[in-house]
Amino acid sequence: MGASGSCRAAAVAVGMPHMGEGTVLVGVGEIAVAEHPQVLVTQALGSCVGLVLWDPIRRAGGMAHIMLPAHADTAMVGHRFRFATSAVPALVDMLADAGSPKRRLVAKIAGGAAMFGADAGSASIGARNAAQTRLELHDLGIPLRAEDTGGGHARTIELHMDTGILLVRSYVFGLREI
Amino acid sequence: MILGNLSEIQLDALRETGSIGAGHAATALSQLVGHGIEIEVPTLDVVEIGQVPLVFGGPETLVGAVYLRLLGDLGGSMLFVAPRSSSLALVDLMRNRPVGTAKSFGADEEALVTHVAQILVSAYLAAVGRLADLNILPSKPSFALDMAGAILEAVTTEIGMLAETAVLQRTRFFDDETSVDAYLFFLPDPDSLEVLLGRLGVV
Repeated sequence: MGASGSCRAAAVAVGMPHMGEGTVLVGVGEIAVAEHPQVLVTQALGSCVGLVLWDPIRRAGGMAHIMLPAHADTAMVGHRFRFATSAVPALVDMLADAGSPKRRLVAKIAGGAAMFGADAGSASIGARNAAQTRLELHDLGIPLRAEDTGGGHARTIELHMDTGILLVRSYVFGLREI
Repeated sequence: MILGNLSEIQLDALRETGSIGAGHAATALSQLVGHGIEIEVPTLDVVEIGQVPLVFGGPETLVGAVYLRLLGDLGGSMLFVAPRSSSLALVDLMRNRPVGTAKSFGADEEALVTHVAQILVSAYLAAVGRLADLNILPSKPSFALDMAGAILEAVTTEIGMLAETAVLQRTRFFDDETSVDAYLFFLPDPDSLEVLLGRLGVV
């Protein structure tokens, strides 16, 4: 409790985001793993979905910034972590290599918003990103513990490895813990 | 078409088209706010999809944005982006009040910023359409007040399904008192870029 409380205070004090030492920033279409006391951060999720997988035994985890549900017909060789279909299994493999087997992992997701409301052309992409990510997790047998998805607002997320708490920041709701 | 492989001549043609579009948009904006608005020479960048959310600086910068899809002969997106304070300055100029009067965004403020963006985009598209002999129409505009990175990301996701890079044409609008600092982005879809280049005679 104390640890998560102080993290929250720090994040509020320095505004967005808390970029201290040990912050691992995950870019758009990237995946990364880290362990306590590092903090995984990805900024400004709009229609993208941020997936975190956490291993409570090792106090380690991984994060993916997923941009699209699946590959289009065109062969996309580079940057495949942009897609839920390839980013989710790749992140699981990366964690297994780091010493966190799949059976210990729990998942949380955030994002998948419709930034310009329901009538804009790209409105359904956020929902589809979230749906595909849930499906991939289900297929891999990884439990989805919590999510903060949908709506029309941007989110920045931080995974704290000691508690597995995912901090979700937005201009609309401020700070949320899931 | 591989966007990274545009020739110098093609890039020049796109830059020139953008300058003409932006010039018309700036004139329209000046008339609208009754106040001289200047533009910087528009820049044209070929940006890797993952880097697009960073083009406005910090991904978490709070901005007002208006998004329109292109319909007709050309597919793509137009995005108007201005930092929150600058969006509010536009609202004050439109209402003929001193800059700093509007403090927060309500439905009226959103409507005014959307209106400004719509006129900018229409002026821009009319000029580009005339130059390239294309009929380009803007869709109904949508407004958002949120993180710049998330807004740019939402606009480019669809391009990300088809291409590794996006062609991003950016124009900065500003005034002497620096109360207004706004950007207009033109993002043609990969297929439509080819159409545009063909019409400009630089395929």
